[in-house]
Amino acid sequence: MRQNKSWMMLLAVLLSFSLLLGACSTNGGAKETGAPAESGTGGGNAGKDETVELSWYTIGTPQKDVNRVMEEVSKYTAEKIGVTIKMTQIDWGDYTQKMQIATSSGTPMDMMFTASWAFDYVQNARKGAFYEIDDLLKEQGKGIVETLDPAFLEGSKVDGHNYGIPAKKELPALEVWRFNKTLLDKYSLSMDGIYTLESIEPLLKTIKENEPDITPFAITKDYMPVLPYDYLISNLPMVVSLDKGDYKVVNVLETPELKAALDTMHSYYKKGYISPEAATTNGLDDTQKSGKWFLDRAATTPFADNLWSSSYGYPVVSTPASESMIFNWSVMGSMQAISANSEHPEKAMEFLNLLNTDPVLRNMIDSGIENVHYKKTADNAMENLDDSKNYDMPTFSLGNVTLTYLNPGDPENKWDEYKVFNEAGKVAPTLGFNFDTTSVTTELASIQNVKGEFWSALMTGTVDPNEYLPKAIEKFKAAGLEKVIAEAQAQLDAWKAANPK
Amino acid sequence: MPVKKPKRFDQISPAANFLLSLLTGVIAIACVFPFLFVVIISFTNEKSLASNGYRIIPKEWSLEAYQYIFRTGEALLRSYGVTIFVTVVGTLLSLVIITLYAYAIFQRSFKYRRFFSFFAIFTMLFNGGMVPTFIVVTQLLHMKDTIWALIMPMLVNAFYILIMRTFFSTMVPTAIIESGKIDGASELQTFIRLVLPLSLPGLATIGLFNTLGYWNDWFNALLYIDAPNLVPLQSMLMRIETSMQFIMQNSTNASLSTGILQDMPQDTSRMAMVVLATGPIVLAYPFFQRYFVQGLTIGAVKE
Amino acid sequence: MFDKLKIFLRDIFRNRAMLLMVLPGALWFLLFSYLPMAGTIISFKQYRYSKDGFFASIIDSKWVGLDNFKFLFSTSDAYIITRNTVLYNAAFIILGLILAVAMAIILVELTNRRLSKFFQTAMFMPYFLSWVIVGYFVFSFLSFDKGLINKTFEWMGMERINWYSEPSKWPFILVLVNLWKLVGYNSVVYLAAIMGIDRSLYEAAMIDGAGKWKQITNITIPLLVPVISIMTLLAVGKIFYADFGLFYQVPRDSGLLYSMTNVIDTYVFRGLKINGEIGMSTAAGLYQSFVGFLLVLLSNYIVRRKNKDNALF
Repeated sequence: MRQNKSWMMLLAVLLSFSLLLGACSTNGGAKETGAPAESGTGGGNAGKDETVELSWYTIGTPQKDVNRVMEEVSKYTAEKIGVTIKMTQIDWGDYTQKMQIATSSGTPMDMMFTASWAFDYVQNARKGAFYEIDDLLKEQGKGIVETLDPAFLEGSKVDGHNYGIPAKKELPALEVWRFNKTLLDKYSLSMDGIYTLESIEPLLKTIKENEPDITPFAITKDYMPVLPYDYLISNLPMVVSLDKGDYKVVNVLETPELKAALDTMHSYYKKGYISPEAATTNGLDDTQKSGKWFLDRAATTPFADNLWSSSYGYPVVSTPASESMIFNWSVMGSMQAISANSEHPEKAMEFLNLLNTDPVLRNMIDSGIENVHYKKTADNAMENLDDSKNYDMPTFSLGNVTLTYLNPGDPENKWDEYKVFNEAGKVAPTLGFNFDTTSVTTELASIQNVKGEFWSALMTGTVDPNEYLPKAIEKFKAAGLEKVIAEAQAQLDAWKAANPK
Repeated sequence: MPVKKPKRFDQISPAANFLLSLLTGVIAIACVFPFLFVVIISFTNEKSLASNGYRIIPKEWSLEAYQYIFRTGEALLRSYGVTIFVTVVGTLLSLVIITLYAYAIFQRSFKYRRFFSFFAIFTMLFNGGMVPTFIVVTQLLHMKDTIWALIMPMLVNAFYILIMRTFFSTMVPTAIIESGKIDGASELQTFIRLVLPLSLPGLATIGLFNTLGYWNDWFNALLYIDAPNLVPLQSMLMRIETSMQFIMQNSTNASLSTGILQDMPQDTSRMAMVVLATGPIVLAYPFFQRYFVQGLTIGAVKE
Repeated sequence: MFDKLKIFLRDIFRNRAMLLMVLPGALWFLLFSYLPMAGTIISFKQYRYSKDGFFASIIDSKWVGLDNFKFLFSTSDAYIITRNTVLYNAAFIILGLILAVAMAIILVELTNRRLSKFFQTAMFMPYFLSWVIVGYFVFSFLSFDKGLINKTFEWMGMERINWYSEPSKWPFILVLVNLWKLVGYNSVVYLAAIMGIDRSLYEAAMIDGAGKWKQITNITIPLLVPVISIMTLLAVGKIFYADFGLFYQVPRDSGLLYSMTNVIDTYVFRGLKINGEIGMSTAAGLYQSFVGFLLVLLSNYIVRRKNKDNALF
């Protein structure tokens, strides 16, 4: 009998210990994934001839061969600048959340991807997630400054300082009307004279009358009319006029331009040009795959028509729907930042400098190991090999895209076209101004809920603006929009005084 | 009443049986149907799905979706391995700890039972939130990128402890424990020989809940796992799911729409993932069901 | 003083077997629940990162008092989200309980064991589907032009309904979907509890000539009361928490339905999408816990007065 009691004690004690042991033993185990090089914990002893390991968090579906490629990359960078690279890829949908937890818990990191649309650059710069790189750009980052259009660094300043390095890619935002060319040809319609929202109506009408199965005007819940206004925070109603030059913050819902656009959208909706489910449609994947659409709107890049056509499997053509404009958010489309808690910010900047100026490194990061993942077909051209499926990276998220080799089918003048495209962009009046929302977070939380309630329904024309627009304006007011606008105006005025144009 | 068949008290009448069977049958079909639907979609041709929408009998069948997933090959197998290991080890450990805790706070003779009950319940009502827990797991226990990060955070659950405690109190008559003590049995003997057999349905319930909890967990992997070889199945599914939604929501982003969209997994592969991720665990219920058997009476145990 | 210590040590020794039994669990609670609870301090701070790690960040961040809680109460939405959260949860608790218990009893009573087992398994199936998938499935019913229901309406010559812009329909839809998804899971607990009931009680009742209905009302249900009250008390503690997936994925985040679908969790999610202030999300969690805690204390007190054994603690 006694024996049994001690058995039970033993069991319980063992369990408790295994809890603790399980916890501690992993302490050692976690390390083995690290690269053979010095782990960054050595502190300030990273002298000139010692290599340091930099950890780099990037967005995109994790690829099988990442570690293999990074080994090659490390050999190259160790020789050139004395660093080795450990890359951690985090999938698209997880990136923002994971990085938020990682930065707020102080997880040690050196470099990370950030943008206006994933792991928000401005907000996280303000919270202190990134290392301020003004000085580093003058020293280790000289090459970056030389290669980038100045608008990139100007537009990505937060409260007057730089915290991230924008990737050199398309700079302005240009909206286009996209047409399903098959249908365009079938009814011998033309894109000539198409620019405004009103100008598309005759075409929509033809399609509606002849093709009952086709959605004439395919839009999602995120659709917004092209307006001559600049949003201080994307998709929230605080805007500044693009062409008046008055630097006055207004509520976009109260502008005549929006009212007119919504009236048109609602009439399109009633005429059946727009899907009755537009206000809850997340994406147009199915419609695009099946080709059951005639017209939609998208943001474009040089040669986008070709890319779209090849990915849908039928020809797509487009014509501009807006002016080409350089906004804060278009500048911040893809950036690399150095972590505030990085032990080696200088080394990290050296690496980022190399990434944005050195074609060998840039292409290794982008396409993998030569003759394993790709083979070179000319000085500036390459072809994917079979193994490239194990290392398929989102090119635009990894720095200067104009250094990457051309793929088969790419026009020879690809990067020249980018240059032309970028130079055509007009600078938005608020480029470089980023609204600091700290003092109005409470209001902003309510405003975002109001936005969710009305925005999609209004913008897609699903509801009658005569009835819902006043309601929405009313509710935004109740949520404190006026206070937010006043705060934004004060900040904008101060910014303008400090940055006379 | 010699003419009629003697009325049977231990069964419901045939008419009631028929009606109730019909009713539960309808509910059961409503519950199984969506699952069948998912299976069917996973075998539908992607193009025909896009143009015809969901159909019970698709126009074109296809294995493409599964081919797409099996392309990843070993990654999928490894994920199965991770999930199965975590589920089995986690459930067993968890069951032992929960049962011991619940048995202690169930016993009246335990002086601190109210304290320890409250100690458990309080954790259900308050939690420190994601970031502090993350700090404990990664910086105090150093479990990041280890299999323990998938097991430990879910090991104990006050909810299950309380259900177990209630099962003990409804299934185990105090007389039994007393009789055990009189017979001179130790606590452990009483517990294993008398108490556990009586609470089999309870153990099966908690075991089932634990199994499902571990199998379906993706959040701990999201928080703690970066290493691709430790990603469990559900987390793989969830990743594809959220990334798809994310990319679609950002489809107005020029870089994304020209660079990424074509590589996106399709509707059918998503459904195929659901089939692969839930298929095996659906069998878990019948396994635990075997323990939901009536007839373990006190007499049976005493033998 | 010394005596007290002696008594304490004696008590510890006397209860050593039981104390050892709770030890692993208690340790776990300390590590994984109580230690992180200290982090709730963030809800009173404007959390900013320090390069010296998490603790430095907490210490360096500015105190903001109750500012982080304000967004939960600042507008008329506060009433809507609180009402929706509480009423939906109340409906889920009450209807879920009745349905789960009824199902458990029916499944036990069905004459054909094999059929009963099959039904049990079947009812469990929805639990395996994530809310995203359930959302797709619901959409295939409610879609305006392709949906099964509207197609049926059309066929019967009735007007089609745009389900995703008609808030008045959604309380029914959400309750129905939630019950459908969870009834199998919830009835397992009651099923197990019924299986644990001593058979001899029924035998005795039958000898007394009690029919099936009498057996159910006089034996089964009264013996289920402890399980029912525990399950209900636990659910009451979570009454300020809403199932995010149900209220976000299933209505497809349709703005026109917010009056009936916006709950605390979706409100917080939407409100913090841009700034992602962890101080504010922690504050929201603390608020939800705190109200739940008060409600549990209250209802536990009431239950305890009626029957000590059915109380949580």
